Parts: sequence; structure tokens; C-alpha cells
Amino acid sequence: MAGNADVRRTVMFPSFLFVTLLVALSNAPVGDAIWLNLPSTGTKCVSEEIQNNVVVLADYVVVPEDHGHIPAISVKVTSPYGNNLHHMENVTHGQFAFTTQEAGNYLACFWSESHTQGGGEASVNIDWKTGIAAKDWESVARKEKIEGVELELRKLEGAVEAIHENLLYLKSREAEMRTVSETTNGRVAWFSMMSLGICIAVSGLQVWYLKRFFQKKKLI
Amino acid sequence: MKRWGKMWALMGLLLLNWVSNVSSLSVTVNDVECVYEYVLFEGDTVSGNFVVVDHDIFWSSDHPGIDFTVTSPGGNTVHNLKGTSGDKFEFKAPQSGMYKFCFHNPYSTPETVSFYIHVGHIPTENNLAKDEHLDPINVKIAELREALETVTAEQKYLKARDARHRHTNESTRKRVIGYTVGEYIVLALVSALQVLYIRSLFSKSVAYNRV
Repeated sequence: MAGNADVRRTVMFPSFLFVTLLVALSNAPVGDAIWLNLPSTGTKCVSEEIQNNVVVLADYVVVPEDHGHIPAISVKVTSPYGNNLHHMENVTHGQFAFTTQEAGNYLACFWSESHTQGGGEASVNIDWKTGIAAKDWESVARKEKIEGVELELRKLEGAVEAIHENLLYLKSREAEMRTVSETTNGRVAWFSMMSLGICIAVSGLQVWYLKRFFQKKKLI
Repeated sequence: MKRWGKMWALMGLLLLNWVSNVSSLSVTVNDVECVYEYVLFEGDTVSGNFVVVDHDIFWSSDHPGIDFTVTSPGGNTVHNLKGTSGDKFEFKAPQSGMYKFCFHNPYSTPETVSFYIHVGHIPTENNLAKDEHLDPINVKIAELREALETVTAEQKYLKARDARHRHTNESTRKRVIGYTVGEYIVLALVSALQVLYIRSLFSKSVAYNRV
């Protein structure tokens, strides 16, 4: 998580109180994720359509209920071709990371394992990051020895590059769709003409056949 | 003292890293699906969009739509959209806490909704302690980041809409081929049936009584 990565750098500063405050705040289960309510039976799935060669980083934590008991959940993450990327049973937290090998719909399914509580809903905090949001800025800062404003500007530069890539991707998708539309357009014209042609041919055949039939029956 | 000032400025910078950001996820809405997001500071701008994808509409030309409601931690409805198949939203959070984003599907067919929620924070004087001063560069960087985030959000919206358009196009392509070939077969069958029927009208067993 972006918050965690930058908080670890605060140990350089002399103010221990604020270091602990920031560390405490960063470890609190709030900040940059979505929460889902898992019903006691049934699966809840989230999916995303991701391109090829994109880094995916996700964290999930089960929020403890009011009386301190932490319900257990099971997770299963599948690729668009059905490969199992991450499968854990009866856990309260975990994380998974992978680089996409194929473009398509990636599915992460959660279901509740605590059947003893009966009717209680488990809340899962999912922090799902793809692409530029999953980049480890802490290691970049360490490697290139940059910090502060320069690091922030570097992050903004990364965001702009991601925007540019997305734009190119949208452009290529639009081009593909335009091809499909134009083929369909051509096909509609051809098939309608063929339909008219078949109609005429079939009625011609009918008339010829009936004429031959009546001539054979000596009616005409 | 200058060193302390720099430290506070850097801490302010670190604090503003807590901007919430998720990728555009999709959920299947059977009846009601709720997603929760935590807003850290009061006055943060919560923005996002959602698009209903993957619904094969048969006759009608427009999607019937789903309802979208945002509830604040105090229980008030902050934002409400009815019967829409995709829209953008933006509001200023009246209080910090857990916000509930609910999708309600009034029809029996399950829908897949692709959504994106972003909580943006720009540091102001209220967020810092009394003896700190706000470094204008931090504010400018935060504003730049928020501007870039709006572009990213637009792109995610466009991507989701493009996915839905692609579904429609694929469906049209399949319909064109399927229905035309079916039409030809039915036409040929009907005319063959016609011929057979006329033949049967002239058959010997019936002919002497009729024609």
C-alpha cells in the first residue's frame, strides 16, 4: 500500500512520537481499500478485465466482529483461462501478487468459512491495485536515493505515463471495434441482397416445378 | 528550527499519500450489492463512476438501468441515481468515516457493474497542527495529483463503456449471421411445404371429388 511504503521512511526523523502515530495510523484497517460484506452462505466475487503483462497486487483482511471473534474466509483467484492463481482456505488475512500472462477477466472469489456464528456477516477489506498503483515506490526511492518532492514528482510522472498507455490501449480497442462494426455493416448489405436473391430463386423453382408437375398430370 | 519546519513539511507530504484509490472492479448485482469505502478527512472529494456491463438486451434499445445510492456514516443519503446504466458521480464528504455505495437491481436478471471510487485529499490548514505551516508546494502537488486522477477516472469510465459497446457489437454480429442463415432455411422449408401442399391437392384420391 502506498501509505505503508512511505511511512516506513519516517524512522529517519527524530520525532519518535509522530513516528509511532504515523505507523499506528498506517496499520489501522482504514485508508485505501474497499470493504465487502460476505453473507454466511454463498460466494461474493469481484472481477476486473486486465490487459497482458500488468502487475496485480492485492491485500485482504477480515475485520473482526464486535465481540472480538475474527471469522475465517476462503479466497480463490482465477485467471481468464481458468488457472488457479491463489487459493487459501480458512484464513483471516493474506495477500497475493502476480503478473498477468493473458488479457481477460480476472476473478477473485471470497466465501465465509465460519458457519458456527450463524447469520453473521463477515466484512472483508480488499486492497486491489493494478499497474502503476502497485509499483513499489519505496524501492525506487532507495535505489535512486530520491526523496520528498522529487519522489512525489516521480510518482506523478509514473501516473502520466500510465495515462498515456491507457489512452493507446483505448485507441487500439476502438480500432478493433470499428473493424468489427464495418464487417457487420458489409455483411448486413450482402445478406439482405442474398435474401432477396434466395427469395426470387426459390419462387422461380416453385413455379418451374409446379408447371412441370401439371404438365405431367396433363392438366395444362 | 528550519530543520523542524522541513520535517513537518515532509510529514505533511507523507500524510497526503493517504488518498484512496482502487482499480475499477466489477461485481455482480443480484438484488443489492454494497461496497464500503473509508474517507479519512472531512471535506474530501469522493469521485467515481460505474457502468453496467454484460447484459444481453433482447428487444429494447436501452438498458433498464440500476439504482445507485451513497450513504454517509451518519445514515444520510449523500448521492442518489435512479434507473441509469452508467454514470459519473462526485461529492464532497460531509464527514469522515465509512461510506456505503449501494447498487440496487430492480429486475430479476443479475447485472455486472464495473465501478471505480476515488477519495481525493488536498491538505489544508485544518489538517495540520497549530505550529506547522502549509508548504504551498505540497498543496500544488496534491492538486496536480487530483487533476491526473480525474483523467485516470475518465479513462476507466471510457474503458468500461468500451467493453459494453464491444459486447453489443459482438451480439449484433452474431445476430446478423444467425438470423439470416435461419431466415434462408425457413424460406426454403416454407416454399418446399407449399409445393408439397399443392401437390397433395392434385393427388388422385382427392382429385375425382374436387377438381
